[in-house]
Amino acid sequence: MMTCQQFRANLQPGTTDAALLEHLRHCDACLDHAMGIDPDLFFRSIGGEELVPPGGVDAFVGDVMSQVRVRSAETSLAPHHANVWRRLAIAATVAAAVTSATLAYRFEHRAPSQNVASHAAQTRVSVPHPAILATKSFVETYSSHNATIVEVPNDGSDAKVVMIFDDTLPADL
Amino acid sequence: MAAVVLQMIPTKESVEPDDRQLVEQIRQGDDGAFETLVRRKTSKVYGLCYRVIGNGEDAKDISQLVFLKLWENLEKYDPTYAFDTWLYRMVTNVAIDFMRNKQSRDNAVNSNLRLVKTSVDPEQTVSVQRKEVESVFNAVSNVLSPKQKTIFVMSEMEDLRSSEIAKILGCRESTVRNHLFNARKLMQQQLKRRFPEYARLWEGSR
Repeated sequence: MMTCQQFRANLQPGTTDAALLEHLRHCDACLDHAMGIDPDLFFRSIGGEELVPPGGVDAFVGDVMSQVRVRSAETSLAPHHANVWRRLAIAATVAAAVTSATLAYRFEHRAPSQNVASHAAQTRVSVPHPAILATKSFVETYSSHNATIVEVPNDGSDAKVVMIFDDTLPADL
Repeated sequence: MAAVVLQMIPTKESVEPDDRQLVEQIRQGDDGAFETLVRRKTSKVYGLCYRVIGNGEDAKDISQLVFLKLWENLEKYDPTYAFDTWLYRMVTNVAIDFMRNKQSRDNAVNSNLRLVKTSVDPEQTVSVQRKEVESVFNAVSNVLSPKQKTIFVMSEMEDLRSSEIAKILGCRESTVRNHLFNARKLMQQQLKRRFPEYARLWEGSR
């Protein structure tokens, strides 16, 4: 370390010289002199010292290493917890599969009922009201030389459709 | 033969790996290398924490937290950069966070406390004692923001250049200089109010 004489001879305002600062930080006698040259050295005088944590370095390092071992043990148990992104991807896939299965099931079970409903609507439109049928005259037997009778072929059911073309019959029959 | 034997005796430099080599050994699972690194950096880390936080026990806890974070994040260290810069960045981040939380707690408690003036005559000449300087610093540096205080400590007490501090904090050098300028100004104002006997030193020299 430099002498007080050397320090005082070389000290300049705003110095960053390591040797000068080292002297400043160890010599109370030169601190007053340094303050007269550069007051910013006031706080610089408390730097540079090797500080030791309470309890000493060995105890400090021991504490750190024991905490590191605890964290290591925790980390070694961690592989059971899969990667977060991987878990998210699996969850998203499962959710998408369940949603699409639900939609497909609903669609399948809704389609037949919709067909029945539309068919019923069509039937309702095409069938004449029973009250209207009742007002019409009902012909059980029919015989005429002028008429043309056409039997409509059916698909094997009991009902028989017969078309009669006869100019002598009333128009509203 | 004697010359050969001498060459085989390893020197101190060759035995002790540098920081980057230690990091490489730790990455390969060597816990002993991590212990060596902690032992090597304890004084630096604790010193910076103590200067910024101003309390030995808190500084110790924060230093331990820094080393745990270091161990957890060692994979992220890029060996093309200086290890100390990376380490200091971690220290400053943790210390500044701690200070911010502490300040918000202290503000709630101390909002009704008044500044206590010293009874020393401002004209009285005083002899500066280093221990006093430390307690004066702890008293007046409370007016600084955590970032200002961290920059002030790194510049004035750790003797780091503005460019190095800028690298550590990830900001521009001009920002560091601005913070330093404002920090010095605030500290002088506080000295005038609370320790006028020391403030005279500034006025007398300028």
